[in-house]
Amino acid sequence: MKRLGFYISIYRKIIIQDIKSKMSYRSDFIISMIGMIITDISELLAFYIMFLNFPSVCGWTYHEMLFLYGFSLVALTPLQCLFDNNWNLRHYVYEGDFIKYCFRPINIFFYFISEDFDTKGLGQFFVGMGTIVYAWYKLSLPVTFFNIAALIVALIAASLFMVSIMNIAAASCFFLTNSGYIMVTMNKFRDYAKYPVTIFPIFFRIIFTFIIPIAFIAYFPSLVILRPQEIPFLTWFSPVYGIIFFFISYKIWMWGAGKYSGTGS
Amino acid sequence: MRIKACVALTKASIMDFLQFRLSAFVMLLGNIIYLIVIYNLWRAIYASVDNATINGMSFNDTMIYLVLASAQFTFMEAYLVWMMGRAIQSGKIVLDLLKPVPYAQYLLFGLEGGNLCAFVVTFIPTFIIVEIITKGAIHIGVNILFYLAAALLGMIINFAIDFFVGTICLYTQSTWGINIMKEVVVLFLSGATVPLAFFPETLKKIALFLPFHAIYNTPLTFLTKGHEMGLGESFLLIGEQALWAVVLLIIGKIFWKLSERIITVNGG
Repeated sequence: MKRLGFYISIYRKIIIQDIKSKMSYRSDFIISMIGMIITDISELLAFYIMFLNFPSVCGWTYHEMLFLYGFSLVALTPLQCLFDNNWNLRHYVYEGDFIKYCFRPINIFFYFISEDFDTKGLGQFFVGMGTIVYAWYKLSLPVTFFNIAALIVALIAASLFMVSIMNIAAASCFFLTNSGYIMVTMNKFRDYAKYPVTIFPIFFRIIFTFIIPIAFIAYFPSLVILRPQEIPFLTWFSPVYGIIFFFISYKIWMWGAGKYSGTGS
Repeated sequence: MRIKACVALTKASIMDFLQFRLSAFVMLLGNIIYLIVIYNLWRAIYASVDNATINGMSFNDTMIYLVLASAQFTFMEAYLVWMMGRAIQSGKIVLDLLKPVPYAQYLLFGLEGGNLCAFVVTFIPTFIIVEIITKGAIHIGVNILFYLAAALLGMIINFAIDFFVGTICLYTQSTWGINIMKEVVVLFLSGATVPLAFFPETLKKIALFLPFHAIYNTPLTFLTKGHEMGLGESFLLIGEQALWAVVLLIIGKIFWKLSERIITVNGG
């Protein structure tokens, strides 16, 4: 418990420094934030245009699809805000700067990840929340204590999956040089999380459920709120699975870091 | 002399691409996954209207359009804004400016070879897969020649827009935000996200008035609807693209000339 308090206080200090340094490039901060919001809005527009021409997707209505999309945006915010440093990992490893993380008396993974807080991800959070609230209202879903609590738990559980996928993708740079394209390819999967997994044939449903578990980012957890009468077992299982999956990704990352031998400079 | 330099740059960029063969393979794999997702998504969407033709687009047309738009993105997108942004931030731009070739040409020919390779390695296989999946729905005839011409012009227009946006980075020192905004606007208004045919009337008019549709929509139209178009109509579309390409290249060049003098590089 004391150790946890120690880590939290370190995290706070590092993050404050990082935000300070980012705020010195104010125009970049504002432009990035707008860029992020425009990206999300263009997706919303795409949904809107699609549903102008078609009534539903596999039995999912416009507002239900919006809910899924908003849910996926919020669930992806922790990845964007807290784990963005993974994108720099391969440069650190390649250029040899990674060695500095090995000399600190704290957990390497924690120290590396805490170094970057990506402020532009907050734009995504607000767009996502707005979309959820709008869809919630339009679908006239009940606002009960259970629903709100379920939404929060579901969002936290859902956020673990993409973080874990990207942890593993980033860790690939400990084993391969120039592994950027692996991250880019895996990162693309997050775009597919906003569709109900039932549109895929069974083979891909299994892949997207167990191997690259993007179905847990929005589809399974959303069912608790959208379709309370037909919740599959996997939905209840998702928090446990999320924690297990995150733990596995952490172990792989640490294993890779353990193999790191520096560049000799 | 000029031509010799351009050929040398193209050659260098081809060699550069060949260094990263594995990444091209992964790019193709990414495209195939995208193809699977898009296929199933639009299958489900079209199932809700009993596979009718909506706004002149059948399921096959939509498939061809979107998958090839993504394949076209992989060979056209050269991350020029990133390159320029990084060159500006690191100061490498000073060395580039010393080259005996104008900066825009240096960039264009330095990218072209890579684009060409990516076309062969990712676009052609994707094209063949789509042709097989849709059971030969892409008409093969003169329209392919028109497609190639339109894609080349689209690439130049894309380059001109990138070059313009990259120049903005001189002022803002922000690369990520500028680049993502450009990408979204281009992909959306060019019809690569949702085919232009599905746009509501007013939005379609606006999109057709802007240059972006010439990057994706025009070439792809030759593949989906090319065989129904007369020669005159086809040449008209190509002409419009050529006009945009020239106009945008000139604007980019002028903007660059005006901005060149504000380049500041810290340190030595």
